[in-house]
Amino acid sequence: MKALKAIYNFIVGDMIILIGVLIVVAALAVINFVSVFAPLRGITGVVLILAVLCVLTATLYREARGNR
Amino acid sequence: MQWAIASAAFLASAVEFVEAFTIVLVVGVTINWRSSLVGALAAVATLALIVGTLGVAIVQWVPIDALRLFVGVILVLFGLKWMKKAILRYSGLKAIHDEEAIFEETMAEIRARGETVAPRIHPFGVALSYKAVLLEGLEVAFIVITFGSSGGSASGIASAAIGAAVAGILVILAGVLIKAPLTKVPENTLKFVVGVMLTSFGTFWAAEGFGYAWPFADAFIPILAAIYLLASYILVTWLKQRKRSWMAIASTQKAAITAQEEEEVRP
Repeated sequence: MKALKAIYNFIVGDMIILIGVLIVVAALAVINFVSVFAPLRGITGVVLILAVLCVLTATLYREARGNR
Repeated sequence: MQWAIASAAFLASAVEFVEAFTIVLVVGVTINWRSSLVGALAAVATLALIVGTLGVAIVQWVPIDALRLFVGVILVLFGLKWMKKAILRYSGLKAIHDEEAIFEETMAEIRARGETVAPRIHPFGVALSYKAVLLEGLEVAFIVITFGSSGGSASGIASAAIGAAVAGILVILAGVLIKAPLTKVPENTLKFVVGVMLTSFGTFWAAEGFGYAWPFADAFIPILAAIYLLASYILVTWLKQRKRSWMAIASTQKAAITAQEEEEVRP
């Protein structure tokens, strides 16, 4: 458990960033590997950029609220 | 010597070397050169082992897309962590971190005791430098093998390798020249730029890992950096406004409480 926590703190140390990025990767995997979603593959880049910005905004909002 | 193959390999490899060297440079400047060079040298050793073992079969055996996705996701996580801290500092929600002053203070104490210290190996810096050099190095190996094989003769791979080697040397020389000016940039600014760059490279590689082809290919990385810089500026402005409005509310409430207390004390 200690080792896992050390790896988590070393790589990211923020649950919103970790879960947000993992959800995005899972969503992109579905888009890219499930044939039904094939028409969406062209927007992979846009989805990733928007998701990264949403994750950043969410974690900053939480920090700002904590500061308040 | 096949000049067409050598030139094509030179140009394509130069882009990959610039990407790898950018990360080695920022790790060296922001963390320390020892960690950065240890990571880069370890990656070069791993590369030599992979290329030496697999040879031209590397193109079939190394899952480059899976590697891009893995490295991309890790870089996005690292990058977002750094960007978050830097944005909080710029917006005034977190104290500005003056690591240099802390470092100088500690060093002065150590010198006063007559001791010396070697720069500490930082696992974060080693890992960043290692991953970037390994991924880009593999891409250079792919370029050399695919471009060289297209020549259809044994000298094709040798020409491509010469082109790539010249590109690597030129990029390293250019990097050494810009190393000194970079050390004059304030630490927080540099860390913010590193966060933006790691997120940009991470986004680029993660999407490529899914087989996505970015418009303008590698030239899209500066566009990604510009998008994240603009978004960061907007976020800093937004957080500053929120902080001001919260402070205004807090001071109004404090004034109201003080007035109420005075009212109660008055006979």
